[in-house]
Amino acid sequence: MRKIVVPGELLSDKSPRGKDIIIENGKAYATVMGVYDDQKNSFVPLEGPWYPQSDDLVIGIVEEAKLTTSIVDMNSLYKGLLISKYSDTNMESGDIVEAIVRDVDETRTAVLQRPRKLFGGKIIDVKPTKVHRILGREDTMIRQIEQSTGATIKIGMNGRIWIKGGDVALASKAILQIEEEAHTSGLTERINKMLTEGKNNK
Amino acid sequence: MSNPANKPELIVNGKRLDGRGLDELRPIKITSSVLKNAAGSSFIEWGNNKIMAAVNGPREALPKHTQDPDKAVIKCRYSMSPFSSIEEHGSSRPSRRSQEISKVIREVFENVAMLDYFPGGEIEIFVEVLQSDGGTRAAGITAASVAMADAGIPMRDLPYALSVGRVGDTLITDMNKIEDNYSDADIPMAVCPRNDEILLLQMDGTLKRGEFGQVFEKIKNAGKVISKLQTDALKEPYINIMKKYGGL
Repeated sequence: MRKIVVPGELLSDKSPRGKDIIIENGKAYATVMGVYDDQKNSFVPLEGPWYPQSDDLVIGIVEEAKLTTSIVDMNSLYKGLLISKYSDTNMESGDIVEAIVRDVDETRTAVLQRPRKLFGGKIIDVKPTKVHRILGREDTMIRQIEQSTGATIKIGMNGRIWIKGGDVALASKAILQIEEEAHTSGLTERINKMLTEGKNNK
Repeated sequence: MSNPANKPELIVNGKRLDGRGLDELRPIKITSSVLKNAAGSSFIEWGNNKIMAAVNGPREALPKHTQDPDKAVIKCRYSMSPFSSIEEHGSSRPSRRSQEISKVIREVFENVAMLDYFPGGEIEIFVEVLQSDGGTRAAGITAASVAMADAGIPMRDLPYALSVGRVGDTLITDMNKIEDNYSDADIPMAVCPRNDEILLLQMDGTLKRGEFGQVFEKIKNAGKVISKLQTDALKEPYINIMKKYGGL
């Protein structure tokens, strides 16, 4: 049985899997809104910020470009730091970059590596908690959208999505629908149906 | 200001001026996620009070000297719109009263939100009173806590707030404007529903010895209703989608 929980709601006596939980007197409570599954004893948050971790792919916008470092806005409390030691691309402020988090330090800075500039395209922002659902199991969902619409899609774990080429409107519509219906079942079939219909209507 | 000479009879035959019983709440309606550009928002209609609450953040605290390297800071602004009240509060400029309420709302959430997750960050809470009829600080806290949960700020609990007053020897729950002006005491409290932790306690007027326990009991009883409304408001958008497509 899955149920929607709010902050402070009792989840179970056993410590569930997942983040965003506090344990008091041996009982686990949610700290953000989420879905609790009592058979799997797992808690999946529906709302909440993104905490950068090593190896996360992010889409950022260069805020400030200096000779040796550039600061990247990642739509988060954390700032991305691109050190030219780790890249040979010259950044300018306003550039859209795709990069991977190398490590995160205690001053809320995520050092990024392997940056790639992205040219053109469209950026949409989604809730960072829904990114895993948009990717799908082993990225199946996003591959499906890419195949149907012919678009190139890059998904940052920070909730920023970059789309270029093909049917951008249909692709972003599909992504926003996944974001809204992330907690429901049978989503893959509905998205497939929507994509086929959207393609046929063209 | 209210002149004691004009004091109306507040309780007649166990009924109050607006026909409510002594422990009866005004009708409350809460809606969450009403604003698109804020991270979290809510709108509350509590009797004749209409209050909009919005939350932004967590993001980098600016100016930089306001940052705390160990935890996030909360910035709160309570303001009454110029058309919100017919009497003395009808102004949206910062006043002694709005500064005080901003401070107490900030302290409620400083004690319930998990600020140590966001060192150097800031969380902004805006409480905008569009129409007021007494008890706006309690309604504002109730709305702000829904907006905080909607914004995804981790919290230990979902606090609610309510005020109880004394008229003569009688305690009345959830006072409106007239009762507030002429009552002998007004005690707004904000409480965590899970463990009844008190987050806000103010008192305007005097209370008899031993009456405080009764006040707290009344707040806890009525708080169960308010908590339920807050939870339902937050869950409603998600449950509507689940009902449509399955997944429950």
